[in-house]
Amino acid sequence: MTALDHAEIRAMGPSLTESLRRRYFSSPGNTAISLVGGALLLWIVWTVLNWAVFKSVWTTPDGTSEVCKGIDGACWAVIHQRGRLIIFGLFPYEEQWRSTLACVAMLITAILSCVPWFWNALRLAMLWVVGFAIFYILMRGGFLGLLSVRPSEWGGLTLTVFIYAAGILVGMPMAIAFALLRRSELPVISGFIAGLIDGVRSLPLITILFAAALIMPFILPGWLQGDKIWRVIFGFGLFFAAYQAEIIRSGIQALPVGQEEAAKALGMSYFHRTTRIILPQAFRNALPPTINQFVITFKETSLVVIVGFFEVLASGNAAYGSGEWSFAYVEVYVFVGLIYYVFVFSLSRYGAYLERRMRVGQH
Amino acid sequence: MTNWKTIIACISATAFFAPMAAQAEIGSTLAGVKERGALSCTGHNGSYLGLAEVDDKGNWQGFDIDLCKAMATAIFGTHEGHLNIQPTSWAQRWPSIQSGELDIIIKSSGWTFSRDTDIGMQFSRPYLMASINYMASADTGAESAADLDGGTLCVQTGTTTERNAVEHAAANGYDIEVVPFEKTEEAKAAFLSGRCDAYIEWDLQLAVMRATEIENPDDFVILPDSLSAEPVAMVVRQGDDNWVDIANWLLSALMIAEKSGVTSANVDEMKANPPTPSVAKLLGATPGFGGQLGLEDDWAYNVIKTHGNYSEIWERNLGNGSPYGLARNVNGLIRDGGIMFPLVLD
Repeated sequence: MTALDHAEIRAMGPSLTESLRRRYFSSPGNTAISLVGGALLLWIVWTVLNWAVFKSVWTTPDGTSEVCKGIDGACWAVIHQRGRLIIFGLFPYEEQWRSTLACVAMLITAILSCVPWFWNALRLAMLWVVGFAIFYILMRGGFLGLLSVRPSEWGGLTLTVFIYAAGILVGMPMAIAFALLRRSELPVISGFIAGLIDGVRSLPLITILFAAALIMPFILPGWLQGDKIWRVIFGFGLFFAAYQAEIIRSGIQALPVGQEEAAKALGMSYFHRTTRIILPQAFRNALPPTINQFVITFKETSLVVIVGFFEVLASGNAAYGSGEWSFAYVEVYVFVGLIYYVFVFSLSRYGAYLERRMRVGQH
Repeated sequence: MTNWKTIIACISATAFFAPMAAQAEIGSTLAGVKERGALSCTGHNGSYLGLAEVDDKGNWQGFDIDLCKAMATAIFGTHEGHLNIQPTSWAQRWPSIQSGELDIIIKSSGWTFSRDTDIGMQFSRPYLMASINYMASADTGAESAADLDGGTLCVQTGTTTERNAVEHAAANGYDIEVVPFEKTEEAKAAFLSGRCDAYIEWDLQLAVMRATEIENPDDFVILPDSLSAEPVAMVVRQGDDNWVDIANWLLSALMIAEKSGVTSANVDEMKANPPTPSVAKLLGATPGFGGQLGLEDDWAYNVIKTHGNYSEIWERNLGNGSPYGLARNVNGLIRDGGIMFPLVLD
């Protein structure tokens, strides 16, 4: 049924009051349930609004929590006073404009790479190299007259976005390689990759992060260690790759065998077959689970707190963690929850847009 | 938490047997710190009230953090620009110090046998006693544990605190009826709603709870009796005696200063006219306190000038200058009825 049919039916359908009556008030039992349900819903909405808006305090004039004494509603003053801590973590206060710009640069890069014009390997690669360079220069500093800031002082939302973007960027090529290698005709290679994927998948992410951050320094020689943050991003990327590889492989295996055989018959090389015929269709098939994996991965960034990174949830914890504000943890968690919501919801909506664009749902 | 213990054990084992590729050399922590130009000390991954918190501008503060700052000041004369506070989770402490990412752990860490022996750590002398105390509602009028005679106590079942209370009551001849709860939160809620006369916990946690969870803090008092106490100490890698000496004498210097009445306010005057030879040596008016440790002779002067003596650090972060208002009690100097003492500066 097409969209047009829906619209026509709606236009021809009963009036609003008529449809309300039919749906909610068709019998005494239905009416009772509707009334009770409606009342309950109103009550919940009212309570939440009351807490969050009508009885809440939004700002603090003197930087203390005095204004929130004895109020029934939410104390958003904690966000007013400690919000910068949540967003920027331990980044030096006077330099936080750099963190803002870096975060914006990373977001713009992410948004631009969702624009179809950038969808070829060269443009995407250039975009991300430039995006990361800007981010790193702004955050790390140490030249061009910028104060040097160690990665252990990076924090808050900026760090979450960075670890996420970098982890996906490291993980995605790995995932494609894993997926292709697992289908290799050489049993040694396919067996090894299968073992690797299953091995990584059977470990909890937290163990992998812990090992990357804390065990690697014992094993790797000094010149190969790099900063802890890169090791953690690599671990994060590896974990993402193990799952994403299987998603891509499912996309590949859903293709009719004839596709590849036809390409072979036309004399296309392996590289051409893979990049022009197989992968584009595989990605299209695998789009819904891929978006799913992206969303899950975003939420999993909060685990880096266990190896001592001040990502947005940890800096939220620090924000209410003072004698002054410790009562306001609900407000802080609601705020952090909203941040996650904005990101994850945008991701889901973008996924839905892609699906419409590629008409995956039409198969 | 068992999971974490296993992981720590595994990692510690790895740390122990793996070829130490990039370790800080044993016995040279001070040299390494000086070369790097900064001390790496522990922060928290979030906030740990009173001990490690973050202020509005993202700066660390708290009792443990001040000791980190004092340590950096002792080495470099100032902590500004010479201190890296590494946000560190509980589980991450031991492997991080083994790998050389940290130089010292000042993170509310109890001195236990297995930590001391199994995982290759060495402890400084305790800088804090995590003391188990009663908190009573003010209506009871109780001023000491014995006044709780005939009263009720909300506890979480099967915990060491419950055993502490039972043993203390038996030994000191008062009766207290234990009301057991399955969870800490339940026990706490029951106490706050008036179900029991008293509640039992680490005194710092009690003070935090009183300051942050209770509408009217004056309704509750923390009783001074210490039922049990766990020593909390700084932790360093085993095998660097000089580094342990510095940690120990840093703590002693803070306590000597308190005992001799040297504060951040009067330290210049004290240095100009030292009342005793020991104070003269402490503040570097006469030489000899720095060289043996590999520090400048006036290191303790710098520390006290910037951060104050033990008492000032306590009051600022945990005591009357903080929201928690925690009394020293067992953490006082011996002359004040506590168990803290400086080593002898001869």
